[in-house]
Amino acid sequence: MLMTLTLQQQAAKMNRKKDKGFESPRPFKLTHQVVCINNINFQRKSVIGYVELTIFPTVVNLNRIKLNSKQCRIYRVRVNELEAPFIYNDPTLEVCHSESKQRNLNYFSSAYTAAVSAVDPDAGNGELVIKVPSELWKQGDDLKVLKVYIEFSLDQPKGGLHFVVPDVEGSMAERGAHVFSFGYQNSTRFWFPCVDSYSELCTWKLEFTVDASMVAVSCGDLMETIYTHDMRKKTFHYVLPIPTAAPNISLAVGPFEILVDPYMHEVTHFCLPQLLPLLKHSMSYLHEIFEFYEEILTCRYPYSCFKTVFVDEAYVQVSSYASMSIFSTNLLHSPTIIDQTPQTRRCLAQALAQQFFGCFISRMSWADEWVLKGISGYIYGLYLKKTFGVNEYRHWIKEELDRIVVYELKMGGVLLHPTFIGGKEKDNPTPHLHFSIKHPHTLSWEYFRMFQCKAHLVMRLIENRISMEFMLQVFNKLLSLASTASSQKYQSHMWSQMLLSTHAFLKSISNVSGKDIGPLIKQWVRDQSGVVKFFGSFAFNRKRNVLELEIRQDYTSSGTQKYVGPIKVTVQELDGSFNHTLQIEENSLKHDIPCHSKSRRNKKKKIPLMNGEEVDMDLSAMDADSPLLWIRIDPDMSILRKVEFEQADFMWQYQLRYERDVVAQEEAITALEKFPTPASRLALTDILEQEQCFYKVRMQACFCLAKIANAMVSTWQGPPAMKSLFTRMFCCKSCPNIVRTNNFINFQSYFLQKTMPVAMALLRDVQNLCPKDVLNFILDLIKYNDNRKNKFSDNYYRAELIEALTNALTPAISINNEVRTVENLNPDVRLILEEITRFLNMEKLLPSFRNTITVSCLKAIRQLQKNGHIPSDPSLFRAYAEYGHFVDVRLSALEALVDYTTVERSSTDLQWLLDLVQSDPVHYVRHKVLGMLSRNPPFTKAADSGLCTEALVDQLWRLMNSGTAHEWRLRCDAVNLYYTLFGLTRPSCLPLPELGLVLNLKEKKAVLNPTIKPEQGTSVAMETPASIGVHGVGMSYSAVDEEPDPVSLGVCGVGQPPQGLKRKAETPLGSPPEPGQILQHTDDDGRPGRYKIRFNPMEDEDIDMETVHDSQAFIHHHLNLLERPSTPGKEPPLAEQTLPSMSAAPVAPFSKDAASLSSKHGGDHAHHHHHHHHEHKKKKKKHKHKHKHKHKHDSKDRDRENPYAFSNSPASGRSLRSPSLSD
Amino acid sequence: MQMGDSSAAPGTSLNYGGRGAKAASSPAENYQLARRRTLQVVVSALLTESGFESAEKAAVETLTEMMQSYITEIGRCAKTYCEHTARSVPTLSDTVVTLIEMGFNVDTLPVYAKRSQRMVITAPPVTNAPVTPKSLSAGQKRTHPSHIPCHFPEFPDPHTYIKTPTFREPVSDYQVVREKAATQRRDVERALTRFMAKTGETQSLFKDDVSAFPLIAARPSAIPYLSALLPSELELQSLEETDSSEQDDQTDSENAAGNVINDDPSADKENSVLPPSGVVPSAKVSEDNVIDNPYLRPVKKPKVRRKK
Repeated sequence: MLMTLTLQQQAAKMNRKKDKGFESPRPFKLTHQVVCINNINFQRKSVIGYVELTIFPTVVNLNRIKLNSKQCRIYRVRVNELEAPFIYNDPTLEVCHSESKQRNLNYFSSAYTAAVSAVDPDAGNGELVIKVPSELWKQGDDLKVLKVYIEFSLDQPKGGLHFVVPDVEGSMAERGAHVFSFGYQNSTRFWFPCVDSYSELCTWKLEFTVDASMVAVSCGDLMETIYTHDMRKKTFHYVLPIPTAAPNISLAVGPFEILVDPYMHEVTHFCLPQLLPLLKHSMSYLHEIFEFYEEILTCRYPYSCFKTVFVDEAYVQVSSYASMSIFSTNLLHSPTIIDQTPQTRRCLAQALAQQFFGCFISRMSWADEWVLKGISGYIYGLYLKKTFGVNEYRHWIKEELDRIVVYELKMGGVLLHPTFIGGKEKDNPTPHLHFSIKHPHTLSWEYFRMFQCKAHLVMRLIENRISMEFMLQVFNKLLSLASTASSQKYQSHMWSQMLLSTHAFLKSISNVSGKDIGPLIKQWVRDQSGVVKFFGSFAFNRKRNVLELEIRQDYTSSGTQKYVGPIKVTVQELDGSFNHTLQIEENSLKHDIPCHSKSRRNKKKKIPLMNGEEVDMDLSAMDADSPLLWIRIDPDMSILRKVEFEQADFMWQYQLRYERDVVAQEEAITALEKFPTPASRLALTDILEQEQCFYKVRMQACFCLAKIANAMVSTWQGPPAMKSLFTRMFCCKSCPNIVRTNNFINFQSYFLQKTMPVAMALLRDVQNLCPKDVLNFILDLIKYNDNRKNKFSDNYYRAELIEALTNALTPAISINNEVRTVENLNPDVRLILEEITRFLNMEKLLPSFRNTITVSCLKAIRQLQKNGHIPSDPSLFRAYAEYGHFVDVRLSALEALVDYTTVERSSTDLQWLLDLVQSDPVHYVRHKVLGMLSRNPPFTKAADSGLCTEALVDQLWRLMNSGTAHEWRLRCDAVNLYYTLFGLTRPSCLPLPELGLVLNLKEKKAVLNPTIKPEQGTSVAMETPASIGVHGVGMSYSAVDEEPDPVSLGVCGVGQPPQGLKRKAETPLGSPPEPGQILQHTDDDGRPGRYKIRFNPMEDEDIDMETVHDSQAFIHHHLNLLERPSTPGKEPPLAEQTLPSMSAAPVAPFSKDAASLSSKHGGDHAHHHHHHHHEHKKKKKKHKHKHKHKHKHDSKDRDRENPYAFSNSPASGRSLRSPSLSD
Repeated sequence: MQMGDSSAAPGTSLNYGGRGAKAASSPAENYQLARRRTLQVVVSALLTESGFESAEKAAVETLTEMMQSYITEIGRCAKTYCEHTARSVPTLSDTVVTLIEMGFNVDTLPVYAKRSQRMVITAPPVTNAPVTPKSLSAGQKRTHPSHIPCHFPEFPDPHTYIKTPTFREPVSDYQVVREKAATQRRDVERALTRFMAKTGETQSLFKDDVSAFPLIAARPSAIPYLSALLPSELELQSLEETDSSEQDDQTDSENAAGNVINDDPSADKENSVLPPSGVVPSAKVSEDNVIDNPYLRPVKKPKVRRKK
């Protein structure tokens, strides 16, 4: 009852919230923050500094301030010059207790989500809880400004800041040592204490004292640079007057070379020493991107300056922060490089788009992230359209659409705007996923990328609906509102105009366009995920001259959804192209479309196309009875869909030849793969030769042609596919076997020249070998390749030629697994190997741009190994995978190693890879390795494998549980890998849980000894339910079923005082801090007078805080304890226990700390213990609701028969804060 | 004297006997041997003159050596003096000056020469002075032209100054040229990489034959991005060449930007912000002198009283 009421209240509150705009989850408002880093030590990789936050309490008697801080060692906290006690507790350091035997992913995911919630700034939480000295909060009602001053240091940070210190001679500046901030979503808490939320804006003053040879680049305007007294260092003073969220603050320090943009003097570029020439070239078109965005948005760039910094070992290629962006140095290129140029431009355009939407305009909550990602992705798309052309744009949209379709169909839906009305795990909108989408930090990286992809596609759908003009007006409106707000001095509500919410966005759309896009939003954004899967086929009814189109949908498989609404169908007839809008309804599959063309008597007539062009066609191929040339369903991609359409091969051929839309051409090419006929061959060859055709279509045609040729191998006439074409296009007139000297001035033919050999190498003869002609042809291309007169580098071309050689490889004829020796090397393979050896060796002497040659050679060598031509051996790849090679080379080598591990089932190599994941200095590489392992896993949950051992399970568990605590992305990668290898439930290689444990559990309950090691009990209580589905341990099930709550709750509550209490101090597991939840809590506690609306999680601790008498001793104690978070990973359990020791934990587990505890603390313990009991009594009442609630869930869960649902139920999550049976 | 002789004789045989027998075939050696022997006799005679009964052969040998050095030095110096005065044969005065220069009192020489106890030594056996091999003469030497006096040295052999250009019809067949260039490059590359592989550490793809397909070992570098991103000298060079050769028909901005790369990276920061010539609108150029970018401003000196 009460629960329902609460939910209603909450819902009401949500509604109100929508109307009133932003409401802070915190009882204070941050207005200004000073970050001062006094010292950066590159040798020791440490940082010392302080922050000062100016906050306005929004409640009377603000007695606690929660801030975010991770891995910082905090020395002292002062509030208005008064020493303030503080508590540091980070439950994400170790998600599940280290000694827990629990190993199922469901359990981990819910615990991890709970841990992230517990410190989530968007819920008003934080790792650092500061007690406002009583002198200050007892002052009375006047809400006075508080200044919170925190001194901190960072030692060898594992996240947040990345130090790159090359191991060479010389000073740090000469060595090119640099440091920069990084992170996935809001990760600023890793390098300084702050409110790490995108919705808490404030102005900034940033000061960085660095070596005189270095430059510190940060957000905002550089006011001045001042030498220190010894003249050996200088201090950079930055001021950021535009209210900005902490996650958008960044820093880069290094001996950067400075380039002021010649077109825009307020834009400054920074790169590492020696790269200035590359920087000059790469940045030479940035001003065009600026101009473009400012023009379409009719809004000036919001910051007064912009800085680009190019760093080594970047976390991602592009990351945008307020008025600056950090890029990977590998984006820089010289003017001789073709392939990198568009990529770099794209990255710059992305960065700049995010400056407007993402940095300047921030999001209100995580659920609104899709709007920002969508808008920045959308305007980036507009830039692509303008710069690279409509073809490229449409191709890109198709590519993105295909990506999201593939992902959603494989992994399940991507939900853009998740709502958690109930705030319960049960209401998880994405039960198909093995992670929670409630927080950005629990998402798998791939999901997040797909999320971004879908967001911009949906923006495009909105554009289709309301027109681009209105769309841009909306953006302009949002930006002008924000810039008006940004120039205001701090006022309670103005700054929230800079925060964008889904609601505000939709409202703005309806205001501007007057159109209701509700259904569209409902379909693609809110509550529904998945794509639409259409199957189309047609018949032509000659009598009625009607096209009978049947469109079916599959909306039952995973990742799909039902579509109801209009759909556009374009029919190309003899008399022209006609658009029809059909209505997809519940039960109508068939649609009759009347045709316009009666017959085709007049053969000479030109056929009008969609774009008004009229062309001559050879109509002999078509069906004489039908006027239909081709049919397209949803040609504008205005639905997120996959269409499988059936039409005759000649129709696809016509579509390929004559339809001018690149998307249609690409669809036709894909479809033609299924029609290996001479007619298809001719159509493809014609397209290949047609220079007006978009080059990417032609490239795709190459591969299709290769496939068709292989399918037609027995009837193929003439030289190998594409050979004569290539000869005609790229070889000398006088000697057709010799390729012309390279001249890549025409980029279209360059890309074609690169691609054709690669596709040709896929050709196979009747013996399924690469034809000798083709191999010799490729070898000749390599031999006669001459780049001396070319003004562009041919490194990508040569790399593709190596790839062609790789493609030409076929499996060796193996005679009973003999050892591969040089003698029995196939002569063709010998030639290939010789080329590869020479290329690889030459690369050492004359390295190519981004070492593309080495990358290709490593792939080729792995392919040689895999096909049994040379002995399979990982040592070469290990050498190239080492730190110190160029990152592309490393990744290529690692890819080969992962493949080796999978093919050879090598446990040593798997171990080697996992060690690399744990210890490699480059975050990007670690991330990539886990990604590769997930994509190409050595084994999966489906199959048994010798590699699947208990040790491996433990290792991976440790990795995601505590080993990756300082890097959200890596942790999610580890979770992904764990999921790929073992699935959601308990890994099969682990021994079955003992049956007797349930009994033990009860015994334990009777013992009532809080110091007993509780983990075993916990794990059973938590794990048994979840493992029921898998192991079918009937006995344990019945035991749990019999008395489910008390057992699990009891154990959790008492059996493990440290953990139990720790959980209590955080936001409770399974109950996200939604307002409704809090209200309930307050009511229950019967302390309505208190203001703790969003303060719930710390409530229990409240009294603990008050009982800390001696703040000095307190601080002293904490300084000791805080040693640990700064060396995370090693002793996370102890770090976590910080809090329990403060509240009620027995001293026993802290033998080390015991010595340092003052006698006063001993007293505290007794006191706390008492309090603890007291509290439990209070909670017992509450428990009753819980109990009911729980049963409700149980029944629901069983109804659904979802084996996984159990772990989402309160039995696993909520129980931790429930009353203990010890009372 | 007896003793001296007897001691000298074995010394001689010791020093030269063994080799002498072998070297008898060489006239030059025979010649020297005889001279040396005479010198030894002279030393022995001098020793006897000075009243020595006997001498160790090592001592005699050393003294011989010193004597020889002394005489050689006199000869060398005298020759130098003579050449200094542009003559080719030393005269008496050259020798005298030399002796004086070496600190020898020349006046005492006549007295010494006429001393009574002087022993007469037989002249050394006549042996043929060694013949210096004639340089191989090739071709006809040129005679002096009329304006050169005939006492001037003769022309050297013609091959030392005549150049004979080797000349063959250049291969103009395109196919052959390409073929040749390709083969040549491949051979050079192969030889070079083989050499590098032989001289350094290698990795191998085969276990049975480590030398087949040797791969130069991968070596991590401290700053891997530099070599991977910066164009090599070779590329820069060829870029320059193509730029200059194609300047007429290349008008696109890519090419203009291409020149940027040749700028000195260590150029002054103020200069470095100057845009590549001709790309920037002229209005901007004039502004360039007054770029106000906070990163270009000078670093301030600390205030005497530091805040905080």
